[in-house]
Amino acid sequence: MKSVHVLFLLPLAMPLTAWADDYPTSGRVEFVLECMQKHDSKYEYLYKCSCVIDRIAKALPYDDYVAMSVALRNQTLSGERGAVFRDASTAKDMASKYKAIEAGADKACAVPQR
Amino acid sequence: MSLQSRLGWWGVCLALATGAAYAADSDTARLSKDPKNWAMQAGDLNNHRYSELKQITSKNAKDLTVAWTFSTGVLRGHEGGPLVIGDTMYLHSPFPNKVYALALEDQSIRWKYEPKQDPTVIPVMCCDTVNRGLAYANGKIFLQQADTTLVALDAKTGNELWKVKVGDPKIGETTTNAPHIFKDKILTGISGGEFGVRGRIAAYDLNTGKLLWKAFSTGPDKDMLMDPAKTMTWTDGKMAPVGADSSLKTWQGDQWKLGGGTTWGWYSYDPELNTVYYGTGNPSTWNPRQRPGDNKWSMTIFARDLDTGMAKWVYQMTPHDEWDYDGVNEMILADIKVKGKPRKALVHFDRNGFAYTMDRVSGELLVAEKYDPVVNWATHVDMKSGRPQVVAKYSTDKNGPDVNTKGVCPSALGTKDQQPASYSPKSGLFYVPTNHVCMDYEPFQIEYTAGQPYVGSTLSMYAAPNSHGGMGNFIAWDAGTGKMVWSKPERFSVWSGALSTAGDVVFYGTLEGYLKAVDLNGKELWKFKTPSGIIGNVTTWEYKGKQYIGVLSGIGGWAGIGLAAGLTKGNEGLGAVGGYKDLAKYTELGGVLTVFALPNR
Repeated sequence: MKSVHVLFLLPLAMPLTAWADDYPTSGRVEFVLECMQKHDSKYEYLYKCSCVIDRIAKALPYDDYVAMSVALRNQTLSGERGAVFRDASTAKDMASKYKAIEAGADKACAVPQR
Repeated sequence: MSLQSRLGWWGVCLALATGAAYAADSDTARLSKDPKNWAMQAGDLNNHRYSELKQITSKNAKDLTVAWTFSTGVLRGHEGGPLVIGDTMYLHSPFPNKVYALALEDQSIRWKYEPKQDPTVIPVMCCDTVNRGLAYANGKIFLQQADTTLVALDAKTGNELWKVKVGDPKIGETTTNAPHIFKDKILTGISGGEFGVRGRIAAYDLNTGKLLWKAFSTGPDKDMLMDPAKTMTWTDGKMAPVGADSSLKTWQGDQWKLGGGTTWGWYSYDPELNTVYYGTGNPSTWNPRQRPGDNKWSMTIFARDLDTGMAKWVYQMTPHDEWDYDGVNEMILADIKVKGKPRKALVHFDRNGFAYTMDRVSGELLVAEKYDPVVNWATHVDMKSGRPQVVAKYSTDKNGPDVNTKGVCPSALGTKDQQPASYSPKSGLFYVPTNHVCMDYEPFQIEYTAGQPYVGSTLSMYAAPNSHGGMGNFIAWDAGTGKMVWSKPERFSVWSGALSTAGDVVFYGTLEGYLKAVDLNGKELWKFKTPSGIIGNVTTWEYKGKQYIGVLSGIGGWAGIGLAAGLTKGNEGLGAVGGYKDLAKYTELGGVLTVFALPNR
């Protein structure tokens, strides 16, 4: 009976949770390792960085997270290659949207901005 | 003796006879015929980037998993790919251009070579300190360093055998291209089109590094190894001799001396015709008003005799470039039906957004069609004159200096840059990584100073408007008809070289760092996220009965690669890109080669 309920409820829940679990473990681990590294590899950031990626995962499907974080990252590239990410409005929009989502998650998880 | 075995014997005798005639030939072409090897950067002489291996198929590609990884220890952009010969892999890195020989058995380092190069070469490299890979022949590994040194190493020990300088970084000359081995020669080019260098291609002796011939892209006929009566070009719907001073006549004064026409792309070679094919880059400066004329032979496909260097035919794709549409992209040799008739064709996806199919024997123009529908700077290529029909409002020359020409497609990146396409003889189609980016372009007046950038324009780029919103596509192209077969949209430009295989799988990498496998209809079968953006070329080989797929990732963006590099402080990676730091302190970590295989059953 319970499973019937779940099936029934699923469509209603879709818009909020459809992508909640689409982050591969490797994607989360990659984020946490990198985030810990940014904070001098202190153990407390295992918890704080995990909290951040879990929040990002609630805000964005994995593919969007990857593309948007790459857009932000590649703005630091030198020369013509970086210009595409600095100039192009699509890339710039992705980058700034991601920056805002990550900043919000950082705040909620008590991760200071760096 | 049966007739068959008699014929067999005759064949052996013939082979021995021709073998003797070409005693000095390299073993590169022979090694590349064994699909277990990946003995040349493009896999073969034709630039096919195709493999006969078929353990990995469109059915099982979804099961691909990481077999091993190897870090180069260098940050910044990683282009090109590894070579595999027998049980050894040879891998390069961007500046400082390290070379590794790896045992495929356990990935242990057999030897490592790191040249000493003056870091002042870095600021004169326009577009990142990339290197497009190594070449192999007769037990030697060849490296074309950033500082224009061409070096031969003993493939067994990594010891230097010979070295030669092919250019001068003090006047803005650098090298990023892979050296190419054709028959008994090694060919290399030059980069620096943004610094007013004079482009050329040169052939050296494999064994000694002795210069055999050098052919410039611009200037007097004798410098270009051009015969005014015998070198042909497409003229009024047929082939005709280029005539005397074909380059000099198309420049003002002695501007040809700074004329650009660099040669940093992917060359190919047809042994039957003994002809080498390559393209030349943009004319300097970017400001077109400063260099009136067609600026020959920049932006040109060249066909040259390998032994003498003499130009057999030329075709200029973008006369008087106004947008930086370098013509250096790979020349793919394919025997295909063009408009119903079998041809020995040369297929070239140019930066200018047109895909050209030429008769590689005669140099005739057969097909020139847009391979991205948004291309707008020209309406079409006039098939009689061979000239693109430029749209006035997108002409940065007509609009003049200090006027911003808006909405030009493609951008200066081109519809495609150097990242090579793949041709599958099995499907008869070309698989092409592309940009879907447009630009606003504003030229300005500039004076030439040796060793300083000679660009003279500012530009801004954006995703092609009124399209899918992404900045790239991966397409399949029919070069016989000049038609797109399918197009798969990508969020970012596709800057990775493609690979197609007899297993009916096509591979390419993305800037997000995904290595993707698609079937022959462009349907995505599998993707895997590597540590950084992919601008390297996908390769495949077989070792101990198993097929492997390998690709370099590492675009130079700091965070992801910083992680892969194991940098302990967050700002180390940033410094390496932002201000440029000493790379020497990084150990064997950095850009990453990720290798995939099917899981053991």
